[in-house]
Order: sequence, then structure tokens, then C-alpha cells
Amino acid sequence: MSIPKGAILIRLFAVLLFAIPAADAAETGYTLRATEVKDKPFLDAATVVTLPEKTQVEIVTRQGAWMQIKTREVKSGWVRMLTVRLGSPDQKSQTRGNLLSAIGIGNRPRTTSSSTVTTGVRGFSEEDLAKAEPNPAEVEKMKGFAVTPAEAGSFASAGKLAAQEAAYFDDDGKPLKVKK
Amino acid sequence: MSALRLLITGLFVCAAATIGACKSGGGFSVENINLDTVVKSVGNLREVKEPEEIQIGDSMAETLLGASPLLDDPELQKYVNGIGMWVALQSERPNLPWHFGVNSSDHINAFAAPGGYVIVTKGMMMQLRNEAELAGVLGHEISHVTRKHHLNALRKSALVNLLGEGVSAATDSKHAELVKQLAGPTKELYARGLDKSDEFEADRIGVVLAARAGYDPYGLPAVLTTLATADPKDNFLSLLYKTHPLPQVRLDKLAPGLATLDGIKAPQNASRFQLLTRKLRLAASQ
Repeated sequence: MSIPKGAILIRLFAVLLFAIPAADAAETGYTLRATEVKDKPFLDAATVVTLPEKTQVEIVTRQGAWMQIKTREVKSGWVRMLTVRLGSPDQKSQTRGNLLSAIGIGNRPRTTSSSTVTTGVRGFSEEDLAKAEPNPAEVEKMKGFAVTPAEAGSFASAGKLAAQEAAYFDDDGKPLKVKK
Repeated sequence: MSALRLLITGLFVCAAATIGACKSGGGFSVENINLDTVVKSVGNLREVKEPEEIQIGDSMAETLLGASPLLDDPELQKYVNGIGMWVALQSERPNLPWHFGVNSSDHINAFAAPGGYVIVTKGMMMQLRNEAELAGVLGHEISHVTRKHHLNALRKSALVNLLGEGVSAATDSKHAELVKQLAGPTKELYARGLDKSDEFEADRIGVVLAARAGYDPYGLPAVLTTLATADPKDNFLSLLYKTHPLPQVRLDKLAPGLATLDGIKAPQNASRFQLLTRKLRLAASQ
């Protein structure tokens, strides 16, 4: 039986995708305070266990306010995203210059270990900003990538995004009816 | 008209009061007040009209892109414009000429300029997991534009003297002059940063714009949790840290309002993001 061309392409594509370092490889974190683990991502879901402060967790996925996590004892459960800090409690000083690869995300050039000097880095640092010469050609180029509202609408549909109602809120979290 | 007159009168009263206070020490007299200067000061406080705002932002963007040019990845640039425009359409200013771009900097940052310019660094793109996170970052920057944070900072701090003089860069030479005059204040403003209250407001509005666009509203908070793991002395983050409150402080400030968006279950679009940013990660892994 012959395999349709499309299927081969899709397979090739899948192989290519797997060959690329994923940005969301296993991440770890730890609880900032004593944290209830729920069996579902809802406040009124059953509490599986309460983790003490600084418990190491493996982050499986995120969904809204929730993080699905695993620990040595808990196979799967949900905690509030804001109760977890990424990395490990004793990791702080090691992360310098390479913070996110340390928690399993992304890749980026490393800073030299001894100082803030970086090698081979193209930057937008304070120094780069101070030295900047206006570049009108780049602004024109930027304008060339603009999309129309109609194109943005199609883009949204393709991404299964539907506009929602959501009210602005003030500093205390109270909804604002009318924006200034 | 009468409002303007009131404002001018008020200004004179203030000036007179100041002079009165100085009188014993400096020996100023009311005769020394330069009427032209006062009138001009009032002029500088007037509302900047939208076409002027766009011209100003355009000129500032020339300097910002002068510091770090766009990344050569048309597919990615178009993609970021798709997300940005869709999020901007949920704001009070959908009709601005919105332009989004990824620059080629390894530093982790994002910034906006008046009139609809938003730039995200390549370094920031590398730290994001999905489209909802990018939408959150863009939402934050879009809010700086819709709330005119940079424009007001320029006006308030008297960094710029020409905003009241009817900026209309209709000709090339006028435009070049505007770029030149704004270059210094632009560098100063982006090195110094906005008021903290502006950053907190942009966080509050940003998450709502992302939610309205149909994204998981916890994208921006997720980015902030990533940034919260950083050593503040990290060179890649030095400018972001200098110009923004600490990520953990931003998360704490945002938490009460975020709770209002808890019920929303919406996509993060991780696969589309991974696909469109694959070149970045490939280049970095080589």
C-alpha cells in the first residue's frame, strides 16, 4: 500500500519538530508557602495533600491560574501558579547568566562567569541605547510587516481565539466600569 | 478658551508665589517674568493630537531600532504582528497604526513608543513558552501606548521642549529635525524607565487585553514567574530590572485583579508559537 505524499510530509515535519529543542521541557519549581494540592484545577476541588513551604515540584503544564504538578509523593495534582517559584530554593546564585536553561527553558548565550561583560552578545543594553544612531530604514521595514484588522481577525480564527468580555480592574482588583 | 485663561492665570499665581518666596534671598521682582516663557509652558502642557503622537513615536522608534535592528525573520515578524494587532484591537485605540517587531537583541526586554510601536527583544522571545505569554507581554506594551505613558513622561519631565510647537513633520527635513531633537530624550527615558505606577497599570490592562483577545490571561503572570527566577544582576536583564519593579512585586500587585479572570478557560497556543519560533531555538542551539 502506498503512503500518500501528504502523510510523508507530515511525518517529516514531525521529525523536524522533535529535533528542535522544545521550549517547554520539564520545568521544576518549589512552593513559596504551604500549598494545597487539588485533584482538579478548581478552588472547590478536593484537596489531595498540603505541601509544606519549599517543596520541590515538577511542573507538568499550566492552565489559567493553575499549574499541574508532580512530586515524589503526589503523582498528579493542581496548585495555584502564584504559589510556585521556578527553579530550586538553593539555586539562586547558580542561575546567573543562564537562569532559564537552568529551569529547562530555552537557550541563550552565557555571560562570562566573572563579570557583567558578555561575549558575542547583540544587545539592547543601556550602553547600546546610549550609542544608538537613528535608523529610519528599520522603521520602514517594521511598517512593512504590519497586518490589517481583517488579517488579525483571520489570524485569531486560525488560532481558535474568540474575543471575550473582560473588565479592567483597579489596584485593589475591583472591576472598573468605565475607563478613564 | 476660558479654561486656558484660567490655566495661564493659575500659572502666574504660582510663578508669583514662587517669586515671592525667593524675593528675600534672590532679589527677584515680578518685572523679570518672561511672558513668552510662561505662555510656552502652558502650550507644552496642551494635549498632543494623535497625528503628532504618531510622528513622535515614529521618530523615537528610529532611535530604538538604531540601538538594535529587527531580527531577520519575516515569518516571525508577521506572526508577532498578527498577535499584537489582534490584542490591540481589544483596546480603546484599535485604529492606531500598530506596528510590532522583534529586534535582534539577546537582552530580555520589551518596550513601546507612542502612536503604536511595540518592540520585543529576541532574548525575551526565547523565554516564552507559548502565544498566551507573548500576548500578555504585548498587552502590557500596548497599554503603555493606549495610556500614553511615554508621551506623558516626556511632557511631564520637560525632556522635550517642542511638543507644544505643533509637531507636524510633513517634510523630510522637518522629520529629520524631530528625530534629532527626540534622540536624547528617548535614550534618557528608556534608560530611566517609566513611573512604577505606569508599569503596574500596564500589567493590569495587559492581562485584560490578552483575556479579551481570547487567550489564557495568565500568560503575563507566567512570564513574570519566569523572570522572578533571575538574579537581578544578570546582565541580560539589567535594563529590564532597572526600569521595572521586581517581577515578584508585580505579581503580588496583580494578584487581586487576576483573580477576577480566574473563570476564563482559554487557549495558550503553544504549538503555533513553538513552530513559529523554531528558527530562534535552532540558531541558539548551534
